[in-house]
Amino acid sequence: MNTEALHILLADDDDDDRLFFKDAINELKVKTKVTLVNDGAQLMDYLNNVEVKVPNVIFLDLNMPIKGGMQCLNEIRSNSKFNEISIAIYSTSASDEDIEETFVKGANIYIKKPNEFAELKRVLSSVISLNWQYYTSGLNKQNFMFSI
Amino acid sequence: MTLKNILKFKFPAILLSVSLIVAIFLLFFSVSVSYRQYKAVIETEKWVVHSHKVTIELQNLISILKDAETGQRGYLLTRDTAFLQPYNGSFDKALTVFINLKKLTINNTTQKQNLDTLQYLIDKRLKILANVLLQNMDDTLLQQNIKTLLVNGKIKMDDIRLKTSQMEVIEAKLLQKREANYQKEITTSPLSYLVTSIISLIIFICAYYKIYKDIRHLKQANNQLLINKRLFEHSEHLSNICNWCWNLEANHLTFSNNIHHMLRCTQKDFEQTVDGFIKFVHPDDKHIITDGAKNVLSEFETSTVYYRVIRKDGELCYFTSSSKLIKDNYNKQIRIGVITDITQQHNNNKILEEKLFDLERSNKELSAFNHVASHDLREPLRKIQTFISRLKENEFESLTDTGKDYFLRTQAAANRMQLLITDLLAFSRANKADRAFELTDLNILLENSQQELSQIIEQKEAKIIANKLPIMYVIPFQIQQLFTNLLSNALKYGKENEPIMIKIIVDYNCDKNAVKQKYTTDNKFCKISISDNGIGFEQEQAEAIFTLFNRLHSDKEYSGTGIGLTICKKIVENHKGFITAEGFPNIGGTFNIYLPA
Repeated sequence: MNTEALHILLADDDDDDRLFFKDAINELKVKTKVTLVNDGAQLMDYLNNVEVKVPNVIFLDLNMPIKGGMQCLNEIRSNSKFNEISIAIYSTSASDEDIEETFVKGANIYIKKPNEFAELKRVLSSVISLNWQYYTSGLNKQNFMFSI
Repeated sequence: MTLKNILKFKFPAILLSVSLIVAIFLLFFSVSVSYRQYKAVIETEKWVVHSHKVTIELQNLISILKDAETGQRGYLLTRDTAFLQPYNGSFDKALTVFINLKKLTINNTTQKQNLDTLQYLIDKRLKILANVLLQNMDDTLLQQNIKTLLVNGKIKMDDIRLKTSQMEVIEAKLLQKREANYQKEITTSPLSYLVTSIISLIIFICAYYKIYKDIRHLKQANNQLLINKRLFEHSEHLSNICNWCWNLEANHLTFSNNIHHMLRCTQKDFEQTVDGFIKFVHPDDKHIITDGAKNVLSEFETSTVYYRVIRKDGELCYFTSSSKLIKDNYNKQIRIGVITDITQQHNNNKILEEKLFDLERSNKELSAFNHVASHDLREPLRKIQTFISRLKENEFESLTDTGKDYFLRTQAAANRMQLLITDLLAFSRANKADRAFELTDLNILLENSQQELSQIIEQKEAKIIANKLPIMYVIPFQIQQLFTNLLSNALKYGKENEPIMIKIIVDYNCDKNAVKQKYTTDNKFCKISISDNGIGFEQEQAEAIFTLFNRLHSDKEYSGTGIGLTICKKIVENHKGFITAEGFPNIGGTFNIYLPA
């Protein structure tokens, strides 16, 4: 496991979801650094800021104003600078089209937002403890849709 | 073959001509034969007369000689010169008769020879007579000499008689022969004439009968043609079409009468030419007709054009013309075509297009609604549920008992709402048009469903026994959902005190008639029955359970949304099949899925 604090970034326009996410991460006994952004535009601004070190994992909501998650995914995966970033899609819907499209575009994992807080904690805990080195995009579609 | 059949037999035209030629030939033959025979009869008659004439002349000759002899004898006895009268003329008379005889026997060599002999004998006889008279006048002549002369004369006379009788016999024989010939001609000629006449008459009668029958046929055909024409005109009028016929060599174009009705004009207003028709065509479409008329068609090729016309009454109409090239019996190229008024069809299409547009729009609205349901409704609900779970985790114990009760009821309501939204989404997905049929092993789909439900199956200790399912063209995720829904239905409505037993039986070749389903055109079905030993239901409810939101039990007894079986029905219908239910209260229920085999 990485001895350095895992840098996690969440891009979600929903206030409540950001709150749940932050609370859940904080309740986990893992050393993490969490950054929250409100939409895709902010995410891209953050990433393109030269002084900032890129996060290890980005949790990306698909349905966001100004710039959607799908567009962000496109931009991140077309820039070799962000090759090291793992992307977890974090969305309310789990439609086949969205899953298919994000998989093809290079997301690493797809998480459907859980209905219960305890479940959210479980999901985040397992995703964070994943050995990302072996969990690279395009290797296994079966594991792409995350289930506990 | 009976006579009737012979008459019924249809002569080819060539046979009729041949038999007529034969009949005419026979007629000519019989006429010529009878003419020839008539000539022969005339000839025979002539010869009969000839023979008689010869005989008469010969007898005449004899009688002249007799007269001369008799006269001479009378003179010798009486010395009266009056007795010499017949004798005096006898030379000339005999000569005249002889000339006649010569003329008559000119063609008969035998008779001619006989006649020459006779001439010689008669000469001699007449000379003897003259000698006797000379001697007698002399008076010096001896009685003995006269006697010798008379005896000589008698001998000569006998010779003459012999010769003439010979000649008469010959003539009689000739006559006999000619009479026989004549008889023959007379008896054979009418018979042959009759036979040929009868034969030609029969042929003429046959030919007449044939022509009569042909004419009758022709009349009937004409009548049928007239009826057909009327029918054709009537149907043209009813279906708003007309036909045209264009003789390309003669450049002669004719339209059927209904063109006047279609253009709402009179016969006078419409000139039967290409230009006459183009006058009615919409100005922007005139080129379609002129180009089409120039277009050279090969045989068997049909060309179709669409254009607008403006009728005499000013109404705009939509026409279509289909034409092709044919060859008539005289090998002349003729272009034929049919004009159809498709205005009604065009208008209907327009209405349909508008309706389709409306439908597409409402479909879009529906899918927008689906989107609202799936995302925008689920999002706040998910948050409510998350907040509830957080409250329950941290604050639940601080609530009063009533508060706790309300709180749990709120959570149950939220959970139920989530269930409803999920099911509704599944239902709308089952309605979606973009479905891909794939050759799928249904066993794998069933296994996936069991996997999906494994937790409940384990929890309820249910047993599922399944036949081997077929490999078919289906929409995989829908059939899997169908199995999941039916299995979870069976699992849900199990009896409390009895382990759940689910049986899946397959009938690969189920006849449509066996199930009396009238809404489908397929005949062979693959029937998959899923039976359980659960609480079952009344058979009267068998139809109702497939209706949306229809539930047989209250939420308290069994939770559910009333959408699951509706989805099942929808999925089976998507596969052009149908689903039926059989229920026995407290014994169990069976769902029969019929998929076209």
